Amino acid sequence: MSSFPLPVLWLWACSVLAQLVVLALLFSKGNSRKLPYFTAYVALNICQAGFLLFVYTHSWSDPDTPKTLAWTSECLTLIAQALATIEILEIILRPFQGIWGLGWRALTVTSGIVVLLVALAARGHWGLARWFQLDRGYHLTFASALIACLLLVRYYPIPVPRTYKMLLGGFCFYSCTEIVVNTLLQAFFRKDFFLHLAAWQLLTMSSFVIVQIVWAAALRKPLPVEDRRPASSSDSDYQRLSPEINEDLRRLNEKLLRLWKLEASQQ
Amino acid sequence: MNSTLLLLIGFAVLMLLLLVWVLRDPRKHSGPDGDLDSTDELSQRHVSYFPQVRQALGAEDFAFLSSRGSLQLARRIRRERRKIALAYLSCLRGDFLKLWRLARVIASMSPQVGVAQELARLRLRVAFSLRYEMIRIEFLFGFAPLLELGSLSDVVSRLSIRLETAMNNLGERAALAAKLASSLNDGHGLDTR
Repeated sequence: MSSFPLPVLWLWACSVLAQLVVLALLFSKGNSRKLPYFTAYVALNICQAGFLLFVYTHSWSDPDTPKTLAWTSECLTLIAQALATIEILEIILRPFQGIWGLGWRALTVTSGIVVLLVALAARGHWGLARWFQLDRGYHLTFASALIACLLLVRYYPIPVPRTYKMLLGGFCFYSCTEIVVNTLLQAFFRKDFFLHLAAWQLLTMSSFVIVQIVWAAALRKPLPVEDRRPASSSDSDYQRLSPEINEDLRRLNEKLLRLWKLEASQQ
Repeated sequence: MNSTLLLLIGFAVLMLLLLVWVLRDPRKHSGPDGDLDSTDELSQRHVSYFPQVRQALGAEDFAFLSSRGSLQLARRIRRERRKIALAYLSCLRGDFLKLWRLARVIASMSPQVGVAQELARLRLRVAFSLRYEMIRIEFLFGFAPLLELGSLSDVVSRLSIRLETAMNNLGERAALAAKLASSLNDGHGLDTR
């Protein structure tokens, strides 16, 4: 633990504090019932901080053991992150069954393509930096799949509550900064690994603290009640608009058909 | 720094830009074509003015004016009518965009969305935009591409037919669901009325 620079330790403490605030808000506002996977993700992150404290303060016979243990715990939180994101996307798209089905397919295809590209890019470079490669590969896949889903949500005019936007935005921002930081540090600090590690921790933790602050701001209020059922809530609008649009379309079509018959006869 | 690393950084920056764009409130940034709530707008289609536009751009009027010796007047009228055609073209695009947005709303309400259908509509949008730009350029350079203008109107028409079918299907499904719910209420006494 003493090997870490003081700013990293301070940032770590801030990060844990911010996570505790987010967790407290989740429980106090009753949001934990609506977002159980997200709550579990935040709780898991706090547990990971405790676990890392133990790992780095304990003396190990093999110097590689702390790194392996730390990255293994990171794998668990990354899985929890993916589940929490799917949970939020599912809440947003639940009333839109067709789009949710399409979203799943988009997610699978995008993830598959990115995993393939990452595997191709990392081929033959699985030396010391394999954990960073894996971490970057995961964040690449995660960010592109999330953006693909958000593009789908944007393409179809699906309303997304501000809180969910902030939560998803936080996840995506964190993944993108991880990609940039991992790539830049890989390029500039190839030789000085310890400096690389400190800079990596400082930068990734800073972005994580920013995300936690955004989440805390988003979760200040209870999450919106799920009454976004398009078929029933917009029923009156639909009943009013549907015959009008049908009539309008029919009229348009008839006029065009007449016009084209006329055009053809003239030619 | 090698090309792979540059590509990765570029990709991450692109993702961040896309994130900002995706999370913007679409209502704040949508243009005047984006409003689907206005029923007056929906009930009025500019495509119906094609015969008038076709007549205005026909060669007969210009030939008549030229034969009377007023070439300057013929040129001025041609210029003004071209402006009208351009305005018509822009309105036609507005019609198309409204119908296209409506199609997306219908798809979002549908319990099943077909990838092939969605891709076909996306292709239609691209084809329409390309054709629209081509015709617009032709008009700007002084030509009167009536045939192309007609086929552009046809694209709007074909989309409207597809939408009508989709709306009918949705209506039938809604009616079926209502009938089913009503029969369930009758059978189990759940109706609170």
